[in-house]
Amino acid sequence: MTARRWKSGSEYAVFIGPALVFFTLIVIIPFFMSMYYALTNWNGVSSKVTFVGFDNFTHLVSDSLFRKDFWFTVKFTLVSLVLINFIGFGLALLLTRAMRGRNVYRTIFFMPNVIGGLLLGFIWQFIFVKGFASLGSLTHLPFFELPWLGDAPTAFWGLVIVQTWQMAGYVMVIYIAALMNIPKELLEAARIDGGTRMTVLRKIIIPLSMPAFTVCLFLTISTCFKAFDLNLALTKGGPFNSTESVALNIYYEAFRNNNYGLGTAKALVFFIIVALVTTAQVIYTKRKEVQA
Amino acid sequence: MRRSKRFMLGIFTLLLVLIVSACGGSGNGNQTQSSSSGNENADSGSSGKTVKLYNFKVEVAEQLNQLAAEYEKETGVKVIPETCGGGCDYSAGLKTKFSSGDEPDIFFVAGFSDLDLWQEHLEDLSDQPWVSDMVDLAKPPITKEDKIYGMPLGLEGWGFIYNKDLFNKAGITQPPKTLSQLKDAAEKLKAAGITPFENGYAEWWVLGNHLVNVGFAQQQDPVGYIEDVKSAKAKIPGNETLNEWANLVDLTVQYGQKNPLQTDYNTQVTDFANGKAAMMQQGVWTQLQIDKIHPDLNIGFLPMPINDNEQAMDKLQVGVPNYWVVNKNSKAKDEAKVFLNWMVTSDAGKKFLVDDAKFIPAFKSINASSEQLGPLAADILTYTKEGKTLPWLWQRYPGYEANTSQMASQIQAYIGKQITKDQMFTEFQNIWNSFSGK
Repeated sequence: MTARRWKSGSEYAVFIGPALVFFTLIVIIPFFMSMYYALTNWNGVSSKVTFVGFDNFTHLVSDSLFRKDFWFTVKFTLVSLVLINFIGFGLALLLTRAMRGRNVYRTIFFMPNVIGGLLLGFIWQFIFVKGFASLGSLTHLPFFELPWLGDAPTAFWGLVIVQTWQMAGYVMVIYIAALMNIPKELLEAARIDGGTRMTVLRKIIIPLSMPAFTVCLFLTISTCFKAFDLNLALTKGGPFNSTESVALNIYYEAFRNNNYGLGTAKALVFFIIVALVTTAQVIYTKRKEVQA
Repeated sequence: MRRSKRFMLGIFTLLLVLIVSACGGSGNGNQTQSSSSGNENADSGSSGKTVKLYNFKVEVAEQLNQLAAEYEKETGVKVIPETCGGGCDYSAGLKTKFSSGDEPDIFFVAGFSDLDLWQEHLEDLSDQPWVSDMVDLAKPPITKEDKIYGMPLGLEGWGFIYNKDLFNKAGITQPPKTLSQLKDAAEKLKAAGITPFENGYAEWWVLGNHLVNVGFAQQQDPVGYIEDVKSAKAKIPGNETLNEWANLVDLTVQYGQKNPLQTDYNTQVTDFANGKAAMMQQGVWTQLQIDKIHPDLNIGFLPMPINDNEQAMDKLQVGVPNYWVVNKNSKAKDEAKVFLNWMVTSDAGKKFLVDDAKFIPAFKSINASSEQLGPLAADILTYTKEGKTLPWLWQRYPGYEANTSQMASQIQAYIGKQITKDQMFTEFQNIWNSFSGK
């Protein structure tokens, strides 16, 4: 009995141990260190670290830019969330049909996700600034003549477009996996019973791919909330801070404004909010999951 | 059974070794971080013969590597430059390096506020042989309590860079020196089908550091005015000089290319070098990049006028952007000092500074001709020699670049017609108040 327990215990250790060690080193320890720094006014360079209690958190209440950036991030997350999952699921539906070259399409749609966010941001910055401008002067289509990254509303949509383009392919792969797992006999039975395409989709396909929705919604919410590299590469938060995500705000606070303590305090508040939102979402969509 | 037990034991030992070694690594890192006075520079490679240099001048990255190779050949000391700049955030990168224990031996700081921030990490360089050779203009920003903490990288300056051929094409014979003349020139350029200004207003530093500087440097007593605003004796809204400065901003936008708020540094310089516009507000550092695109571009500097007083307006903004500094806690600090001295005394070093990097020397004993430096630097040298310079001031603002980046956002909002001129100045005042601790 004890030998057996020892054995399974060491098996766990072998499988989980290495990952746990690194997770502790890179995530857990810095997390607790940042909790400490959030209570100080450290500037990021000095060896003097003064303990200030909850001053940083009370300051946050009156920080209008932080609030503005927070609403921007929420709006950005909501819009991207809808677009990414809508397009991702739509592509998945299309590409699980019998059609020629669907593997090629799957690869192509997934491709943007393989390119890193920062690089992608720079590529799209070029497209928006140079590509669209050239197309605009050739065709005189108003769409291409817009100041894409130079005005608040268009910069917002610019970010949404790139984020959607990057993530839709990723959630598509997850949805495809879910769709392929739906038992064929259920679909056939529904069709024989005279269900229209729409009914089959609403009553069978969507309920049965709910676990994929849980995963994809979680991934999109947390990724969009934490958006950083796209904002940095595409707009740097500009023009006039209109596209500054919370992550970027935290980065600027800690590294450009030299308020490392305040920056970590913001990061902690942000962490709690993202954790609450995603937990609520997972609990909600989990309830909707059904068995065939 | 016995075999499997021994196997398990083996695995377990392996795991233990892994954990212990990982902890060892982390312990080391933590130590360096918490005790910045600690002398354990957690770098396995530094045997005291390696000088790590953290460079922010992207433009000269290649040349610096060549110089390092040459230095190693000559002295056997390895200098490893690592470059971060332009699109990369140097000051954030530097802080990360310091808090992760990977401290460079030589790095860059700017004067005034930046010196205050980093001073506790900096070696006092007052006793170095090159100090007496520094030009006077370069000393105040890096001096604290009569000690000099850095070696100037070189002089830099900016203004409007203009394309002389395009000016000729538009029939402009006299380079404009006042606001009215500038407006006339822009009008003529426009009539000739040439875009007068290429504005890089997506970059916060083009706006917050450089453009705003004109408004402060043209004050009667710039430093006094800044101190007065800091101590609430003077205000930003209602200041006549700043009000005039806004006219210059309006002029560049009115006669500028489309969508200035999305034009970043690269786009700006590339478009200008390709002859798409006749003027851009930029500095001497663009010479290398322009040369790559269009080597023989006939260019020069124009002042940035805010009114019609020709004598007061005909000035360029010249200063020292950054100083080489030595990390006080570095094991290789003596090697680092020797390297810096070698750079400003040896022929190879001088060749790097003047011929390769095209820095305008901030040392009296280093000569440079306009053929070596190019037309932009030649103009800066001429203006400097004639004493027609304006000081750089943003390093004296409270909050330094945190301040200028926020002012830049407000100017962007003004250019994007989100706020009025008065609102912009009120916002400036709020930003200054928040950084002056009021």
